[in-house]
Amino acid sequence: MRVGLLPTEGKSTYRFTVLFLATIGILISSLPVVVVTIMSFSASDNTGFPPPELSLRWYWEVIAMFTQEDASSAQSVVDSTVTSLLVAFIVMAISTLVCIPLAYALARGDRRIREGMELLFTLPLVFPLVILGIAFLLIAESLRLEIGIWRIVIPHVALVLPFVLRNCIGAMNGISVETEEAAVSLGASPLRAIWDVVIPLMRAGILAGLIFALIISFNEFTITFFMYTIDVSTLPIWMYSRTVSSLDPSTLALSVFIIVADVVLIVLVDKLIAGRANLF
Amino acid sequence: MSISLSRPRALAFSLPAIIAILPFLGACFYIFRFSISADKGVIDGYSIQAYVDLMTPFFGRSVWLTLKLSFVATIIAMILAVPLAFLLTSLKSPLARRCLTVTILLPLILNLLVQAYGWILLLGPSGVLNSTLKGLGIIERPIFLLFNETGVLLGLIQTSLPLAVFPIVSSVRGLSQEHLEAASSLGASHWRTFVDVTVPLLRPGLVGAASIVFAFNASAFAIPLLLGGRRVQMMGVAIRDMISPLFNWSGAAAAGMILITLTLIVLVFASWLVRVTSEEVRG
Repeated sequence: MRVGLLPTEGKSTYRFTVLFLATIGILISSLPVVVVTIMSFSASDNTGFPPPELSLRWYWEVIAMFTQEDASSAQSVVDSTVTSLLVAFIVMAISTLVCIPLAYALARGDRRIREGMELLFTLPLVFPLVILGIAFLLIAESLRLEIGIWRIVIPHVALVLPFVLRNCIGAMNGISVETEEAAVSLGASPLRAIWDVVIPLMRAGILAGLIFALIISFNEFTITFFMYTIDVSTLPIWMYSRTVSSLDPSTLALSVFIIVADVVLIVLVDKLIAGRANLF
Repeated sequence: MSISLSRPRALAFSLPAIIAILPFLGACFYIFRFSISADKGVIDGYSIQAYVDLMTPFFGRSVWLTLKLSFVATIIAMILAVPLAFLLTSLKSPLARRCLTVTILLPLILNLLVQAYGWILLLGPSGVLNSTLKGLGIIERPIFLLFNETGVLLGLIQTSLPLAVFPIVSSVRGLSQEHLEAASSLGASHWRTFVDVTVPLLRPGLVGAASIVFAFNASAFAIPLLLGGRRVQMMGVAIRDMISPLFNWSGAAAAGMILITLTLIVLVFASWLVRVTSEEVRG
């Protein structure tokens, strides 16, 4: 007899309560995204509910925003999107390149060092983002650093390190020392064994880390809110400055593009690490 | 022959990551040093004046509001997260499980602006909720749920829910089937099993999840900024205001140190609680 936490049979108040609360949880999680998606198809100029008619006009508007030159605004949506993507890809590359060797060293090294290092690299996860934003701003301002895009890349790397490292360590856990020893006994140098045997085996975890870094950096708002300048600003900041007074439907259509991209990437991560590791 | 990682090689492998995290550690140190600076605008000398200046009713209210909202949001998030974790672990179909995982995880990952737009469309004066209630003839004038504590609370619950659900899911997976079977075969009802067996077994996981959710909510910035406006001055927003219109850098640094200390106290207290209660269960 298997006893589930969620009884399948009968009309018990227990089952009803669990399902009722879970439903509320699902609604709270998903309603904002669902409503944004519905309203982006509205034909009306305002965001009143329900939309009088459905249309794709705001989607055409978004496409027009990206294809036509807009000289009126200081920072165009194209520039911010390019910056956002550039930052996200640099963050992804740097964080993964530094985490793969570290994950290897931690998995094969001293256990006590490993615990300490894992703790150190979890810190950015629990550190308040506002404080991090202010601290990086203080450093950049008081040292008068002119580092362009790096003023956003450096904080973002710190932010994604915990996620990338966890995925890389999770990938290393499944690889036994024997596999490496076999390669070395067949004449490969230790470095070559890592490159040709270990890294290919880590592939799924590395990919999951890559994607995590990409989505976190691309969606990041708080730290960037403190660090952006007129020349270097990202898509979330552009959306914020556009909607700070009122919400217009074309921003909703743009949001739907972001939602779709995020959902696709999360599904990919979930597939890559399915059942082998925890997301956190 | 075995592969052993020599010390210099281990160091060489760790070095790039350590360099990458150095700016973060530097930032932590910098904010501490600035909070005890004698000058408001630059680091110069030592003084606790910035902390003394924070002892105002205004900042006190902000701290109280932060603790209150984070506490309420954490309790509600936990009440919703446990059933969600049960549901997620008992789903048989991989497709359903994947859909639920994405639904719960999305609020943590997705651009906070997009989620704030969603809440504005839901709760605004001509939003989904008010239009529906008006259409049903329940209310005549729109009720205000935005730019006050209700809106911020809902936003906090939504964005912190994933942080509660996934740790509980891993505790639920580790739950021993024998205990549940024993309780059930001894004739305990579902409620009885839940209260007397499931919750005590899950307690370390629950406390851990709650402490992370609380720390996350206490340091929230974007949600109170976008859904609370100027009227809901949680600490994150209050700290921003010290910098942006006031240029009180050392004050902002000191307020930041207080916020970090508060979240650290909660995290340390929670890990102590986990240790004590898990000894109790074993003993």
